Amino acid sequence: MDDDMPFDIKQTYLKFLEEDPQLTMPVAAIQSLVALLADAQPKTSAELIEVLQEASQTLKDSVPNSISLSAGSDLFLRFVVRNIHDYSDWEACKRNLVENGRTFAERAKESRSLIARLGLPFVRDNDIILVHGRSRAVHQLLELAASKHVRFQVYVTEARVCAEGQIAAAAFRKLGIPTCMIPDSSVGYVIPKVHKVFLGAEGVAESGGVINQIGSSQVVMLAHQFKKPVFVLAESHKFVRLFPLSSDDLTTETPYTFTTTETEEFDPANGPQIDFTPHKYITALITDLGVLTPSGVSEELIKIWFG
Amino acid sequence: MSAKGDINVQIAAFTAQLQRREISGSRAVALATAHLISRFVSSRRWPTADDLINQVKRLGRELEKAQPHELACGNIIRRILKSIRTVDETVELVEAVDDRERRSSMFGILSVPGSGDKSTDHMRSRDLKAAVIEDIQVLIEEIGNEEPLQRVGTEMINDNEVILTPCPRSVTLLDFFLKVAQKRSFTVLVTECYPNGVEDAKMFAERLTKAGIRTEILPDATVNAVMSKVSKVIISPRTVLANGGVIASSGMALPCLAAKNFNKPVLVFAGSYKLSLLYPFDVERLIEVGNSGKVIDFADADLMDKLEVTNPLCDYLGPELLDIIITTDGGHPPNFMYRIVLDNYSTQDQIL
Repeated sequence: MDDDMPFDIKQTYLKFLEEDPQLTMPVAAIQSLVALLADAQPKTSAELIEVLQEASQTLKDSVPNSISLSAGSDLFLRFVVRNIHDYSDWEACKRNLVENGRTFAERAKESRSLIARLGLPFVRDNDIILVHGRSRAVHQLLELAASKHVRFQVYVTEARVCAEGQIAAAAFRKLGIPTCMIPDSSVGYVIPKVHKVFLGAEGVAESGGVINQIGSSQVVMLAHQFKKPVFVLAESHKFVRLFPLSSDDLTTETPYTFTTTETEEFDPANGPQIDFTPHKYITALITDLGVLTPSGVSEELIKIWFG
Repeated sequence: MSAKGDINVQIAAFTAQLQRREISGSRAVALATAHLISRFVSSRRWPTADDLINQVKRLGRELEKAQPHELACGNIIRRILKSIRTVDETVELVEAVDDRERRSSMFGILSVPGSGDKSTDHMRSRDLKAAVIEDIQVLIEEIGNEEPLQRVGTEMINDNEVILTPCPRSVTLLDFFLKVAQKRSFTVLVTECYPNGVEDAKMFAERLTKAGIRTEILPDATVNAVMSKVSKVIISPRTVLANGGVIASSGMALPCLAAKNFNKPVLVFAGSYKLSLLYPFDVERLIEVGNSGKVIDFADADLMDKLEVTNPLCDYLGPELLDIIITTDGGHPPNFMYRIVLDNYSTQDQIL
């Protein structure tokens, strides 16, 4: 790092994300906070907490979609606060954290492969699976299933606005999985033929509901209507202490607006990027802590915040 | 040496009993399995806990192969494996705590790796043996003692209720009704469970009438018609699965669907030995198919020749059909079962 420049948490965060495309936002947030710890050298524990709180707030404010990120930074702050009181030798613990900064990313990847292992029995021969958007956890699971010679087919939605469906479909085809790309508007058309729906998550709310790429909630509600099981694959560090009741409760910089005049050309990207899927539509969450029902999420959160 | 030969004979006898279905019913199988393993642990030689775990696992594989549809056997073996692990761990607690927190909490990715070298100072096998056998004794007592289950259940029955129990054959349920009858008066409707459980249902009804409980036997097809006057449905399944769904005798799904339609509560009674860590990935594989001669007599050769007759012995009921699952440690909503499964079993033992 450039010694003359003052430490910039946002730049550090973006750099981590850029360097490793496999890195998720919460882990990048944790790593940037660790990098800050190494740089800031706080003298007292109170100062340390203050520095971290300030930095995580700055980080949350400076990124447009901060829910996923805040899951990581909140988890890290909670970890620090708990361990300051638990360990007498905080210095050693801090040193350890800084030295092990890199391993967090490794462990996050490990938890993704654990999810794939736990999720493997959910993928069966002759299954037709619907996947919305691109998710690293879903990709890893299907990759594992394909490598075990499970014969299944995948519908991938275009997942417009983020439009990552194309990338996901290409990746599945490369793994030799028969893949069919469909526009988001055809989900209702294919859903009777689908056996199960797999989703990733940006964040998992306290209720067990899921914050994910926009379009997820409509896909899931259609699946629910046709009684198709919906499985969400998410690492436990994405559990976040939010309790949204609808997609409306998630802040967005670009809300939809009503106009009577033709203002500018219609741009679908100019709208919310994420939506919220209520827990009642979700069959199970496949996480590194095991296969949980949505109510299990609040239990895990309670364990670390009030346990 | 003679003790070792003795245990092998016992294992062979039990396996044969399972294969020929001379021993059936979850409670009986659970008890027999627990007793067998208790003797197995005390008669075998094993230097470390890991050896013991491997030996018990091998035995478990044999027993599961003998009767793949009787899950109670596997459940008990996994419970005992978990208790062996717990007993063994208490010694290495200090070393293990780091590792365990890492795997079982959201702090997983953050925790700092422990000191590294794991202590090999296991509990001496003699102490381990005593502790494990004591645990198995506790388990055996738990299987036999359904008082807590009856206590919780009694609170849920009111005077003058009409209770529907489709296809009953469970001892747990019979004992429960006899117990409640001492305190409350109620009516029990029993479906006859054609073709597989007719005898059992009749016997069940007979036992209830003898105890002075008003009992009626209904044909299976009438459940929807009577559902409006039923106040609750009580079932005792074969197995409770990790997602809160259950595998029950065939003929139970229909009354539960009717109950849902009329918004009547469905209560599930299950001893904790019925709790399995299976998730119903493939429902068809969990459903046992039985003698089709019970549906159409083989003597009716003309018909048998032209038809394909199947006789599934079980139904799968999803968690959405059930309202509460009452086990020996209280009543739980179906979507909480995964937690009890995680508490009772170790995920390492999923496949024996």
